[in-house]
Amino acid sequence: MGKTMIMKIMERASGKEVKIGDRVWCEIDLSTARDFGGANCTLQFDEITDKKGRVWDPAKIAFTFDLQAPSHSEKVSANQKIIREFAKRQGIEKVFDINWGIGQHVLLENGLVKPGDVILGTDSHMNLLGGVAAFATGVGNTDIAASWLNGTNWFRVPETMRIEVTGEFSCGVYMRDLLTLLVGDLGAGGMDFLAVEFVGETIDRSSLAERITLCSMVTEMSGKIGLILPNGPVLDWLAERTGADGDLVRQRVRDIAPDDDAPYCEVHRYDISKLEPMASCPDAPDNVKTVRSIAGEAVDQVHIGSCTNGRFSDISAAFEVLRKGGFKVSPKVRTIITPATREVMAQCAREGFIEKFLDAGVVFTNPTCSLCTAEHYGALPSGDVGCSTTNRNFIGKVGKGSHTYLMSPASAMATAVRGVVTDPRDILC
Amino acid sequence: MGEVLKGRAWVFGDDVDTDLIYHNKYLAETDPKKMPQYSFEYYPGKEKFAKGVKPGDFVVAGKNFGCGSSREHAVYCLKEAGVPVILAETCSRIYYRNAINNAYPVLFVKGLSEAIKCGRIKDGDSLSVELDTGEINDVTSGAHFHGDAVSDLERDIMDAGGLIPYLKAEKGRR
Repeated sequence: MGKTMIMKIMERASGKEVKIGDRVWCEIDLSTARDFGGANCTLQFDEITDKKGRVWDPAKIAFTFDLQAPSHSEKVSANQKIIREFAKRQGIEKVFDINWGIGQHVLLENGLVKPGDVILGTDSHMNLLGGVAAFATGVGNTDIAASWLNGTNWFRVPETMRIEVTGEFSCGVYMRDLLTLLVGDLGAGGMDFLAVEFVGETIDRSSLAERITLCSMVTEMSGKIGLILPNGPVLDWLAERTGADGDLVRQRVRDIAPDDDAPYCEVHRYDISKLEPMASCPDAPDNVKTVRSIAGEAVDQVHIGSCTNGRFSDISAAFEVLRKGGFKVSPKVRTIITPATREVMAQCAREGFIEKFLDAGVVFTNPTCSLCTAEHYGALPSGDVGCSTTNRNFIGKVGKGSHTYLMSPASAMATAVRGVVTDPRDILC
Repeated sequence: MGEVLKGRAWVFGDDVDTDLIYHNKYLAETDPKKMPQYSFEYYPGKEKFAKGVKPGDFVVAGKNFGCGSSREHAVYCLKEAGVPVILAETCSRIYYRNAINNAYPVLFVKGLSEAIKCGRIKDGDSLSVELDTGEINDVTSGAHFHGDAVSDLERDIMDAGGLIPYLKAEKGRR
C-alpha cells in the first residue's frame, strides 16, 4: 500500500515509517504565534521554565501581529509588548509587527514556508499553508509552548480524503464559490480529523491565491490540513521566495508527492463548469445557498479581506465588479476592504486601485485580520446584517445580535454596489 | 468501582463553535482563572451559564463540539469553572488537542446528538457519570449512555497531567 502526502510529510518529520492511526512526534520547522494567543504562549513558556528557559531554536520561531493591528486597546497593546520583550530576550528575530499583515501570508511571502514543512501557529487558519503543501495547523498556547521546549509535538497520522476538481469557472464564479459548495455538502464536521488532497485539472491550473482560499476553509469542515502539491507558476514563485532553499523546495515536492496506490478514505469529484455564485447564510458556514436565491436581502455592511480572500487577485476581482458597476458603492452600505498583507496593499496602490476605491465610497484599511472579530474596527451593532469574505459567520461573531453572509469578493462587491445581496453575474457578465 | 460524579446537565447542540463557547471579544485575556465569567455568553439561550454553572455541572453537546478557532480559552473557561468533564458525541480536532494537553477529560458518547434533539437529555437534568467506565445515567429522564475516553498517546498525556508535565517527565521523547 502506498502513502498519502500527509503520511510522507509525517515520515520525514518524525524520522520513522508511519501507518494511519499512529501517534508520532514530529520535528517542528516553524512554531509561530500571533498577537492573539502570543502572550498566552510566552507567559506559559516563562511559567513552565521559571522564566529561565531558552527556546529550542530562536530561528524557528516567528511572531506575527495581525488580529488587532494596530492595537485598539491598552490590554492588546500590553500583550503585544509582552511578545516583543520575550522575542528580544530569547533572540527571536522574526517578529512581523503591526505593519506586516496576516501572519500565514506574511510567512509565505517572506520565504519561510516550504512544502513538507511542519508548522504550528495560534491561528486555526494556519492550514491555508497547505496550499503549498506544508502541514500547518492551528493549535492552542500549550502546544506552542511545548514545541518551544524541544522542537517537537505529537500528531495522529490521519486518514486522507481526496477531492478531484475538473472544469473551468464560468463568468462571475470563483474558487470561493467551490469552497462554499464544499462546506455545504460536507458540513461543519465533514472533514473532522482528516487530511485532504485537492487534485484535478482545475487545481493544477489554479493560482496561489485560489489554493490559499481552498485550503483555508478546510478548518470550517474541521479538517486537519488540505494539501495541494505546488506546480507550475506556484512552484516557481515559492522557489524564488525561499531563495537559498529553492532547490530544496523542488526536491520536497518530489519527496512528498502521494503514491499512485495511496489509501483514501473518501473520494469526491466536482465538475465546476456549471457552478453558480454561492453564499454561506446566517448563522453557520455550512448553511449554504446560491447567491441568486437570496438576492435582494438587505445588508448594512460589506467587508472584503481576511486570510481566506485578501490576496491581490481577490481585491482585483472586487475592483472589476466595482468598475462595471460604475465606480460607486451604495450609500446604504458601509464597505470596507482590507488587504491581507502590505505587499498586497502596495500592489493595490501601484495599480491605482486604492484611489478608485476611496472615490467610490470604500473604506480601504491597512493589512490586518480586521472583521474576523468583534474586537476591531467594523464590529456590527445588534440587528445589523453583514456580508463578508471571511470564513466564519456564527451568530454574533462580529457583534452580538448581528448576522453575516459569507461569499466571494465579487459577490460581496456586487452586493456593495447594489446595496442588497446581488449575484455578481448581473453586473459582470 | 470508580468515582461517580454527580451534577446538572447544560445541554448544547451540534457544531458548537469556539466563539460561542468563549467569544473573540475576550481573547486578550491571558489569565485562565478570569475566563469562566465569559463562558457561552454568545450562545443564544445560554447567556446565564457563566453565572449559573456550579462546580460539578456537566457540559453536554452533540457532534463536532469546539469547532472553529484554536483558542485554548475555550477549554480553560470550562475547566476553571469546575465542569469536570465534557460529554460530547464528537469533538472538533483542535478542541480535542487542547483538552488533552490540559488533561481535561472528554467522553465521546454515541447517540448523544440525537438524544439531545429528542429531549432525552435536557438542561438541568441530574446526571451521574463514572469516568472510569464511561457509564452515564440521566437520573431525571432515565436515559442511559456510554462514553468512550481517549486512548493511546492521548491517554498517556492525560495520565501525566497534560502535555507539559508529560514532556518534562519523558524529557522530550524521541
